[in-house]
Amino acid sequence: MANTIKIDYKNIFYPPGGILMWIVIYLELVTFGIALVFMAFSAKAEPEVFHESRLLLNTAYGAINTVFLLSSGWCMAQSVHFLKKGNFSKSKLFLNLTILGGFLFLALKGVEYYGKMEAGYTIGYNSFFSYYWMLTLFHVVHVVVGIVILFVSGNALRKNPETLKIEDYEASATFWHMCDLIWLLLFPIIYLLF
Amino acid sequence: MAYVRLNLAVAFPDNLFIILTMERTFNITWIVLIGLTILTAVFANVEMKYIAIVILGLSVLKFIGVAFFFMELKKANVFWRVLLVGFLGLLLTVVWAI
Repeated sequence: MANTIKIDYKNIFYPPGGILMWIVIYLELVTFGIALVFMAFSAKAEPEVFHESRLLLNTAYGAINTVFLLSSGWCMAQSVHFLKKGNFSKSKLFLNLTILGGFLFLALKGVEYYGKMEAGYTIGYNSFFSYYWMLTLFHVVHVVVGIVILFVSGNALRKNPETLKIEDYEASATFWHMCDLIWLLLFPIIYLLF
Repeated sequence: MAYVRLNLAVAFPDNLFIILTMERTFNITWIVLIGLTILTAVFANVEMKYIAIVILGLSVLKFIGVAFFFMELKKANVFWRVLLVGFLGLLLTVVWAI
């Protein structure tokens, strides 16, 4: 069994994943939230530009990427669950699937970015695409950092699962789920709303 | 008794019900989230007066699904739950109102 202690999640100082990770999550959500509010203000000033530019985005790519991240999040939740049960092989399997989901997201995002750059819709094309590039690239940075964290956790799980602390593993999982949460805000507002 | 005498009894862990319930919760959450994503994609192509509210409403459900079930925020202190739902409600209301 992984190195566990009984955590009282109902205690305000011990939310699942740890209080520090949740402070980071709220800061990230507020940061992205403020940017999205500014984007909405810009859309009000230039409604035609935002509507026509939004139609240039591929909604199918956005929806498929949502499925990749949600499925990856499901795998991560299962991985934590099996680690708590002491089933290390299943935990590793689901962690690998989680990382695969992250890479699929990045691959499709790469295809999308390549298409936009080929068509000339770069960051300076108009104000909509400035927001599109800044917000989605900032999110991609989070996904890349999340994958690195999962690789480090996976390494600990492979080498010495007995000493792996469940709180640390939960914190890694919580960071990964944060990438889902941010994308669930970005996808409807950038790809569908304007 | 025969099961015990012949050593056929199966020892179930005490928390088996909790384990099965959690796995089922994750699976149901995933199915609902994928369903909501498909619904969002369908609604995105529909011309409707209040389509923005529908799209934002569906994203609220997905957000809560991930936070409460995958991240297990449902087990956390009410402070963290209220803070997250409050932030989400405020943000999407502001975006919609603008």
